[in-house]
Amino acid sequence: MYKYIIRRILVFIPMLFILTIMVFGLAQLAPGDALTGQSLADPNVDPEVYEQQREALGLNDPIPVQYGRWISSVAQGDLGNSLVFNGRSVAELIESRFANTLYLGFFSLCITILVSIPIGIYSAKRPYSLLDYGATGFGFLGLAIPNFFFGLIAIYILSIKLGWFPAQGTMSAPGVTGFEAFIDRIHHMILPGITLGLAGTATYMRYMRSEVLDVLGSDYIRTARAKGMSDSSVLYKHTLRNALIPIITLMGFEIGVLLGGAVITEQVFQYPGLGTLFLSSVTNRDYPVVMAIAMILGILILIGNLLADIFYSIIDPRIRYD
Amino acid sequence: MFKHYKNGIAILILLFLLSVVLIACNSDTDEAESEEPDNTEETEDPVEEETDDGAEEEEEEPASDEPQSGGTLTGAMDTAPAGVFNPIFYEEAYEDNILAFTHESLLSQNENLGFEANLAKDWTINDDNTEITLTLEEGVTWHDGEPFTAEDVVYTYKAMASPGYVEAGGVRTEYVVRLVGYEAFNSGETDEFEGVVVEDDYTVTFKYTEPNVTILKDVAFPIIPEHIFGDVPVAEIPSHPATLNAGEVIGTGPFVFSEMLEREQYVLTKNADYWKAEPYLDQIVWRIVDQSVMLGLLENGEIDFIADPNGVPAADYETVAALDHIEIIEQTDFGYQLMGFKTNHRTDADVESGTIEPDNWVPNEDMSEQLVRQAFAYAIDRQAIVDNLLYGHGSVINAPIAQQFWAYDESAVTAYEYDPEKANSLLDEAGYVDTNDDGLRETPDGEEWVVNINYPTGNQLREASAPILAQFIEEVGVQVDLRQPKEMTAYVEDLTNDNTDWDIYLIGWSLGSGDPDPSGLWKSEAAYNFGRWNNPESDQLMLEAMQAPEAFDQDYRAEKYSEWQSVFSEDLPALLLYAQNKIYGFNERLNGVAPMPYGFINDPHLWWVSE
Repeated sequence: MYKYIIRRILVFIPMLFILTIMVFGLAQLAPGDALTGQSLADPNVDPEVYEQQREALGLNDPIPVQYGRWISSVAQGDLGNSLVFNGRSVAELIESRFANTLYLGFFSLCITILVSIPIGIYSAKRPYSLLDYGATGFGFLGLAIPNFFFGLIAIYILSIKLGWFPAQGTMSAPGVTGFEAFIDRIHHMILPGITLGLAGTATYMRYMRSEVLDVLGSDYIRTARAKGMSDSSVLYKHTLRNALIPIITLMGFEIGVLLGGAVITEQVFQYPGLGTLFLSSVTNRDYPVVMAIAMILGILILIGNLLADIFYSIIDPRIRYD
Repeated sequence: MFKHYKNGIAILILLFLLSVVLIACNSDTDEAESEEPDNTEETEDPVEEETDDGAEEEEEEPASDEPQSGGTLTGAMDTAPAGVFNPIFYEEAYEDNILAFTHESLLSQNENLGFEANLAKDWTINDDNTEITLTLEEGVTWHDGEPFTAEDVVYTYKAMASPGYVEAGGVRTEYVVRLVGYEAFNSGETDEFEGVVVEDDYTVTFKYTEPNVTILKDVAFPIIPEHIFGDVPVAEIPSHPATLNAGEVIGTGPFVFSEMLEREQYVLTKNADYWKAEPYLDQIVWRIVDQSVMLGLLENGEIDFIADPNGVPAADYETVAALDHIEIIEQTDFGYQLMGFKTNHRTDADVESGTIEPDNWVPNEDMSEQLVRQAFAYAIDRQAIVDNLLYGHGSVINAPIAQQFWAYDESAVTAYEYDPEKANSLLDEAGYVDTNDDGLRETPDGEEWVVNINYPTGNQLREASAPILAQFIEEVGVQVDLRQPKEMTAYVEDLTNDNTDWDIYLIGWSLGSGDPDPSGLWKSEAAYNFGRWNNPESDQLMLEAMQAPEAFDQDYRAEKYSEWQSVFSEDLPALLLYAQNKIYGFNERLNGVAPMPYGFINDPHLWWVSE
């Protein structure tokens, strides 16, 4: 098992390396650089100034030279400075956003799991019941509604009209600490968490239902029932474990998606996370930030997949890694 | 109408009677009873409400004359500041929203854009405008209690002139390059900067190498504290805590930047020792709110004002105007959108080496024809664009100088009102006629004529205007190739490296309020002269308007700019499409607001809220 994990991690290092080369190359191929956009903001600034800054930042050097400089400083643990946010280090920029993204992603994953799995099981146990139809309807709706639209509707009704939840941000005021801050954060996470988890919930529910239905129809379940096993132990001991395997695969991917793909939700709720930072850094050609986030996402996807593999072996004892 | 009114009164009387009965009946169950009349009042007729409001106003009137102390005000902007709260290093309009409360300049601009006393109470300029001596207000203190002196002024300018300032990310060199000794100091030859000199604690002199026409603008830069940054190497200022962290940013302004929740909330607390007067408000909180949610929060009172840089979108004007508790101030923005003609292209070699040398330029066939440019101007109904795209909240302008300036002269320019007939006849005159009867004009040589239009994404109104412009031009028989819009950064790269086949480009400029001099955008060698317009007469006039000693006289400058505007308007390197209006919306509980032409935040220590 440990050998397997170490092997997986070792394999990932060259992959990460290739990823950085690709992202760096693609980013550099895009026309313009970090200073191109800024130069239009204020026509009173002499364009010569930007030329001097380009020179100072080394943006005029050939791409391999720039990449070499970047990778060697990363190897020393320095992610560099942002080109757009004057003088701010990439590590500092990412730090606060990463925590926000992590909280939101985890929160939304919890909602997803807590809602989708029980409902999925129930609708499989009682297919074509009222709740099953309701869940199916909700599933299609959840998949069909675009994130931002659902978010806006939720804000409009639950926040602006009813005032139950805050509409924007992660906290209601700076300087709140302790337990109060925790509650405040949760309160702020409910709407974006639901919005972010909506599509996932719908998907998992559908998967869970069909998986459970599938397993319930299989021979070993009939055998178990024939042995006189109780309904609940058939369901929880035999069915659930087998039905969860595909869900776990999905979830492994989902971690990366949740952390990197929350751009729209973060924007609508002005929830400062990695997604919006990534997007703005790409449009601003802020390579050091883009590279750092790409690396973080790469690592997270690896961890997600690794966790999924580990969970397999817990859920299905037939799966062994050596 | 009248009938409704009558019905209303009838219902009102009925409800009144009913509530009297209810009160009489339920006098023992006091909870339910006290709610009843409230509910009926709400469902009552507008007539009743009006009288109600009237009564309230009367009650409030004495209060509204007298500013009240205390209270918190919440403003909203749609994008978070980058986080560089230092006047010499910030670059975005969003930081401006914080720094306008915390930092001050020696001079400020009044509603006519003239300069007046601020941190400097008095000044004298020598005869040839090379020196200005300013007397500073005494008794001004920084937020941390240290006195503000001439040393701080010298330090601020010295920092911007230091070697390494640009490399550290600073762009404000325009304020220092003309000072005496800039070259020597900036290149590191000497440690002494002769350009700004302390006379005594409260007197400071700026010395310029050449007579300086815009001397007042050049000394009006926000001042940063010497006692904080004095020993910090300039390269470290952008990452210094006093630049980045709430509570550590020090200015002289009426509010202190005290707390922040990065990218969400920025809290300004009043500076009780503010030298002009103690501010009325306790706190101003900026919240970062998505554009799509902003109006909802303004409506339900969670936010109190929406101002710079984007204001209320023109399309939402009616919605906001319909809200009883929201007041609107609308004023013209500095800046404009334009449709530029690439009159010349640079050569490959020049683009490669980055040279801008008008003598090497290659005229862009067809677009270099003045008659064609004028014809396009007549072909486009700009008023219709303002009316429909901007919902009337903007104006058609004909000269590239902001209308608020003394230098703007509407009478000097051709108005180019929508006149397709005239456009047709001008094109005919220029020799662009349809020779093969396909309904499209050919070039004078009889070749196929296609005009391409290029535009960037990012500004939705501009994006929407591109196809409309194309259609207007097509209507006078010109074949148009409306190209796919490009993302802004990529677009600017193509716009600058103009060894391409571009004919028409769209761009917008936001202009400073300091001085109207347009040479940074329209002089032939100017990098931002993307049309590569080369008109010696225009260059000459812009030069004369800035030339000492005649240019010390504003009337003389105004005259030169008026001539220049007529040259611009006739030669037409670009058709100015519109100047958008800024629409500020704020809750009526906010009083004492007096926006300046260049911004909403003016004398915020006089703002107060009525609760």
